[in-house]
Amino acid sequence: MPNQFLFVFAQAHEDFRIPELVSIAELHGFELAIPDNLDCSRPFAVLSLEKEEHARLLARRCILIRSVYEFYSRGSSYDDLHERNRAARPKWEKYVPDTSFKFFVNGYNQSIPKARQRQVIEDFSYMGFLGKIDLKTPEITMGCFEEYRDTTGTTRQKHEGDGNFREVYFGRLLEEGSARSLIKTFDVKKRQYFGNTSMEAEISLLMANQTLAAPGKLVYDPFVGTGSMVYTTAYFGAHVFGSDIDGRQMRGKSQVPGIRRAAAQYGVEQRIMDLCTFDVTQNPWRCGGLFDAIITDPPYGVRAGAKRLGRKKGRTTPVFPSEPRPCVDDQPYIPPTKPYELSDLATDLVLLARYLLKPGGRLVFFLPTVTDEYQELDIDGMLCEGMELVANSLQDFGAWGRRLVTIRKTSTQSYGPPTFKPTVSGPGDAPVEHVPAHRDFRGKYFQGFKKDHEDSVT
Amino acid sequence: MVRLITHNLLACHVKGCTSNNFPLKLQDVQIALREAEFNEDFLRGFIPRLEWGALVQAAREVGDDSLPAEVPEMLDDEFLKQLHHVLLEIHIDEGSMVCPNCKHVYPISSGIPNMLLAEHEIG
Repeated sequence: MPNQFLFVFAQAHEDFRIPELVSIAELHGFELAIPDNLDCSRPFAVLSLEKEEHARLLARRCILIRSVYEFYSRGSSYDDLHERNRAARPKWEKYVPDTSFKFFVNGYNQSIPKARQRQVIEDFSYMGFLGKIDLKTPEITMGCFEEYRDTTGTTRQKHEGDGNFREVYFGRLLEEGSARSLIKTFDVKKRQYFGNTSMEAEISLLMANQTLAAPGKLVYDPFVGTGSMVYTTAYFGAHVFGSDIDGRQMRGKSQVPGIRRAAAQYGVEQRIMDLCTFDVTQNPWRCGGLFDAIITDPPYGVRAGAKRLGRKKGRTTPVFPSEPRPCVDDQPYIPPTKPYELSDLATDLVLLARYLLKPGGRLVFFLPTVTDEYQELDIDGMLCEGMELVANSLQDFGAWGRRLVTIRKTSTQSYGPPTFKPTVSGPGDAPVEHVPAHRDFRGKYFQGFKKDHEDSVT
Repeated sequence: MVRLITHNLLACHVKGCTSNNFPLKLQDVQIALREAEFNEDFLRGFIPRLEWGALVQAAREVGDDSLPAEVPEMLDDEFLKQLHHVLLEIHIDEGSMVCPNCKHVYPISSGIPNMLLAEHEIG
């Protein structure tokens, strides 16, 4: 029978939890069976793994794991728990004769009074540990967790309902999750260089994990901006390429480009392979099949709009820069740009990834969606031959949310670059098969996601 | 800071410029050497993606002629160390890359090449 482990999760980004576990298991090449009834609204889960080492690997890399315990027992009452714990004796028997130890009791959604904590610990006396009690540096730490239902929004006395828990778990501490502290390390506020579109640290780390970043891999961010995902991906050992249509985002104001300054702060400067200014729809890549992963947070028009080279409609007379171009103010020539519609961008991104990724490579990106209008087809409709959806996790902001989409290139064939042709929509066009909810996201956002668009400005 | 590995992956993408558009010629370049961590698996995996002739030529243009004209059959440690140095440790901080065919100049400033195209150069 495989070993069972009690995982204690941070109750944040619940939708990202399973994809992260599965990704890290895949990265290290071991099996991880997720039970069908796993409830991510609860912070505890008992998972089976072949080896203890696997549990440790997960604890060292998964951002959402608080700690991992060797699982001994669980129950809806202490009678249940103790009965099963007695039956699990072979698991903990070896610690009986001479191991220094510590017990603690913890409540989720409830603080447990000191007196009862002592009582709970006393009740484990049948285990008969003979080693000395050591609260500072014990050889083993035994944890007991009482899980209570969420009572947010109700008023109650302190400790009211104490002991009336949903379930109780017991196990031996294997490893504290060490990846979680990276959220502080990569705190945007302490970063040398960031912008108004920088991605928060926790999500950047979760994204990096979805790419299976590791030493020897090459990862590309085609909308690199201020480089939020570059730092976390490089931290896990991968080399990263970044490109952006706007070089100012990558540079900032001082001589040394901002992304390089921030990367140096994290000690990953050497893993920034290079930064380039170009429009991804007019890209200079010589060939495809280059990258192990593509990670990006494409601009979706709320804080920054996506741009591509070209001229806006209505301004038809192009101005050719003459050669040599008369320099007005010492500034280099800046070509005109036009908006890049989000659903076009998303479709192109999948095709671009199919061209640029190695077989088995992953595309990881965020897509904003309107909560009321979202359908699974929005994501499925973006997929193309050779590309398969791995995970789709929602970060919910109420009326809208953004989905972290992970897609794998399953095909070993090589594909050509996409054409990047904008889909033209207007009166008289043939009806398109499916209009995704993220189409014209910017417009919907600024109209407050109203159902009828009749009152919208024409 | 354009490394030679990057130089080896970038081709001129001006509309209609589809032949003799690689490798871009290095012009007025300022070179810096910066140590990088050695990863054998990465190098071995990347060799099939390289245009070897272009890499050797670019390395010579910046004054490094340590690479053999052909990829050797046996990838020994010494060769991989040389390749590592050429691909990842030689940086072009300033200068430009010029298309051998259409003569488009891609300027490099503080290590970031500007690969944007002018309006009449896009499809």
